[in-house]
Amino acid sequence: MYGENGAQMRTELAALLRQHRVMRRLAEASSADRAAAGQQILRFRQTVLIWCAQAIGVARPLTFPNVPPKPADPFRAASDHGAAVAELARTLETARDQATTQPASSQEFTTPSTNSVVERWRLAARAAALAEHDTAPDRAIHLTAAQARTIAGDVAAISQALVVLDRRYRNTPDWESIAGCDRLGWAALATALDVSLGQPDYSVDQTGWRPRTKPIGGSAKPGVLGVLQAEHNLLVRLASFPDAMNLRLVVDSQRLLSAGLVPYAQRIDPDLAGQWGARAETYSRIQRELRNIGGRLGNGTAAAGEAANAVSRLKALRPDTVIEPRMLGGFQTLFRLVDARIADILESGVERGAFVQRVTVPRLVSGDGRLVHPVRERFVPVARATDLEVIRTAREHLRPPEEPTVTPAGTSRADLHAALVHRPPAKEPRCDTPRL
Amino acid sequence: MLLPHAQTLAQARSSVAALADCALTLDASSAYERVLLELDRVHGDECPSLDTEDLTDDRAILLAWASSAIQELEDYGIDALSVELLLAMLADAHDLDIG
Repeated sequence: MYGENGAQMRTELAALLRQHRVMRRLAEASSADRAAAGQQILRFRQTVLIWCAQAIGVARPLTFPNVPPKPADPFRAASDHGAAVAELARTLETARDQATTQPASSQEFTTPSTNSVVERWRLAARAAALAEHDTAPDRAIHLTAAQARTIAGDVAAISQALVVLDRRYRNTPDWESIAGCDRLGWAALATALDVSLGQPDYSVDQTGWRPRTKPIGGSAKPGVLGVLQAEHNLLVRLASFPDAMNLRLVVDSQRLLSAGLVPYAQRIDPDLAGQWGARAETYSRIQRELRNIGGRLGNGTAAAGEAANAVSRLKALRPDTVIEPRMLGGFQTLFRLVDARIADILESGVERGAFVQRVTVPRLVSGDGRLVHPVRERFVPVARATDLEVIRTAREHLRPPEEPTVTPAGTSRADLHAALVHRPPAKEPRCDTPRL
Repeated sequence: MLLPHAQTLAQARSSVAALADCALTLDASSAYERVLLELDRVHGDECPSLDTEDLTDDRAILLAWASSAIQELEDYGIDALSVELLLAMLADAHDLDIG
């Protein structure tokens, strides 16, 4: 995820910016050691530079300069004066291409260093290499203009940090300065100013590459772990859209599972037991309301199988089993995700017509001999999702409330900005020095 | 599906659904629900909606209605084995219900 990798890069660079007297930190002993550490740092820096150039290249088409456009002059070639992002991209590419150092190898990323300075550079470079996944061009097509602006701002701040650190490490033996270092610093500053005119959109932190969630295979785990395994697998299998009947089986299993876990949770956490009791009630209600919903699109047999596994494994538990709070937390997390997914399935199923409503259409029948006219049944597509009771129940009771997540999106950015401008603490005046 | 078949199926579904709603334990309710799902599966999910009018609260009467309606389904071309299995599932669910 871009948020994690970007935050790690910024954290490590901010820590490096707060380190002064670098020569002593690099190696106490000889200048050869310093040169070796310096070369390693150069390779790590090259990796960060490569990411910066790639990310700004991705963000550039989506960022527009805040300079008002000039009237077109047909006798001059078009040039985008004042586009700071374009200039930053150009200088970053120059710096990347003119460097004679090769980027660090993956073996270097994964080998921890004993030197604290090199170690921080290693972590920053590793995050940069991982972030190349997040800002890869095929993922970047989903970016909005505001998100691209945020990435451009991040790249500008990181470039500034690289420029400041380049100055500080200049006395390292065999050090290679960034090509066009001054220009890069000014371009980064201009980009930061240009970007700050708009509102940043930190939702970009949620984008990027994520590891795929996989079902837990193998034989059933013993005891409660088996139930957790089946519930996790159910969540994974629900990624494919189930048909109405399999959805009813899954809903039934969730009702049984919640109600069955209440006695175990009661001993540890009565609040949680209350919540799960309410969840079982909600699922009972949804089960009743789903009886009049049909639809054969989708599959979901794997999900129904895992749901049945979960219930049968729960029934096989001994009544005196103690479920640890950690496992209860695991169940709660999985329940929230399953609830959200089932609510999504219901809504999207109705929206795209995969679920239809069985309705009673009055029809006159003669010769039946009964006073009440029988009815003929037909399926009709649902006109509005809110017409269905089950959708209202899912929205009001099933969907877990949005958790007020404290987004630390700005923290690491603010920290890096503060580190860029911080001054080393003033030295204490020594007592033994003579004063005038 | 012809109208008499649909009517019988609607009666069977409505009675089983009412039994599931009146069940005393969650397990029994779930067992009745399985009968309902099996009924739908046998019909390939082409089922009429529930008709909750004129339904009684008496579980014995509901069970008799459900059994007779399921037995009648055999006249409309439903496989005899499926009908027997449905009846067995219904009996099991009833056993769970009365404890």
